[in-house]
Amino acid sequence: MPMPGANQSSFASLHDVELCSYSAAGERRAFGELVRRHGSSVRHLLRRMGAQAALADDVAQDAFLAAFERIAEFRGEGTFAGWVKKIAARLYLRRLQREKRLSALAAEEGAADEAHTDGDADHRIDLDEAMKGLSAAERLCVSMCYGAGLSHGEAADALNLPLGTVKSHVKRGLEKLRARLAPGAEAKTGDAVLEGRRGNG
Amino acid sequence: MAEIDFERRLERLFADAPELADAQAFAQRVEGRLNRGWTARRWLLGAAGLAGGVIGASQLVMSNIFSQVENAEQSARVLSQGIARVTPTTDMVSALSGGYGLWIAVGVAVLTMGFVLARVIEEI
Repeated sequence: MPMPGANQSSFASLHDVELCSYSAAGERRAFGELVRRHGSSVRHLLRRMGAQAALADDVAQDAFLAAFERIAEFRGEGTFAGWVKKIAARLYLRRLQREKRLSALAAEEGAADEAHTDGDADHRIDLDEAMKGLSAAERLCVSMCYGAGLSHGEAADALNLPLGTVKSHVKRGLEKLRARLAPGAEAKTGDAVLEGRRGNG
Repeated sequence: MAEIDFERRLERLFADAPELADAQAFAQRVEGRLNRGWTARRWLLGAAGLAGGVIGASQLVMSNIFSQVENAEQSARVLSQGIARVTPTTDMVSALSGGYGLWIAVGVAVLTMGFVLARVIEEI
């Protein structure tokens, strides 16, 4: 059902589900509006999974193209963004597998970047910063389960890891994130900022 | 309970991704790739149709179809003459092979033209 005489602004007022219907009918401008709405969150997810910005953009583009090809499969049971994020996460893992980096990353223990939150008083503690304190495997598992909405079992399948390993990566990752994202941790950093300013003033 | 609260908070943090500065450019790149794919597909279908048409036409010419059609017409005429001797309802047979056949062909052609026109208008 193409929208006669539709321009981009007329699509901007539509709900995601309506845009999906138009996209399924081959209306590429409707799909463009969906990309405009959700492109950033998909790219953020891939970066949080550990992809460099250029690779994240590349995989996100492929994910949206794959989503357009398979849009008829989207039944509106979850959100469109959640559906594309799952596609993007799986594509990223496939890319890592192709480059033979996945097994090395998934097996990696510890070795997190510890330097970012402590002592950097001007840096706001947010999720991106907190994620840098996780090992690559923990980052992958936490992002897939809480960012892409995969179950532990689905993540284990996608990562080709035992379920127990994924669960323990997620558990350790959550513990680290809780410590870093706790109000106390933020307040501590806030105090450090104030102290620093007092000291300077 | 605190565990579940934290997990919900984490999901919200993941969902609340700020818009990137080049979000518009990113969307245009994806649309560009979609359009390129679409154009390539149309060219491919057109080329396949053309190739199929050329092959079909050459096969028709090479199989001497026109002389075979003439033979078939002659055979039909002989057959209808034979049937006319047996029963007086030969009008129906000749109408099917001549008059009705023509009308059916015209109907199919009109339907095909309608379909093609609808596709062209949709593409425009």
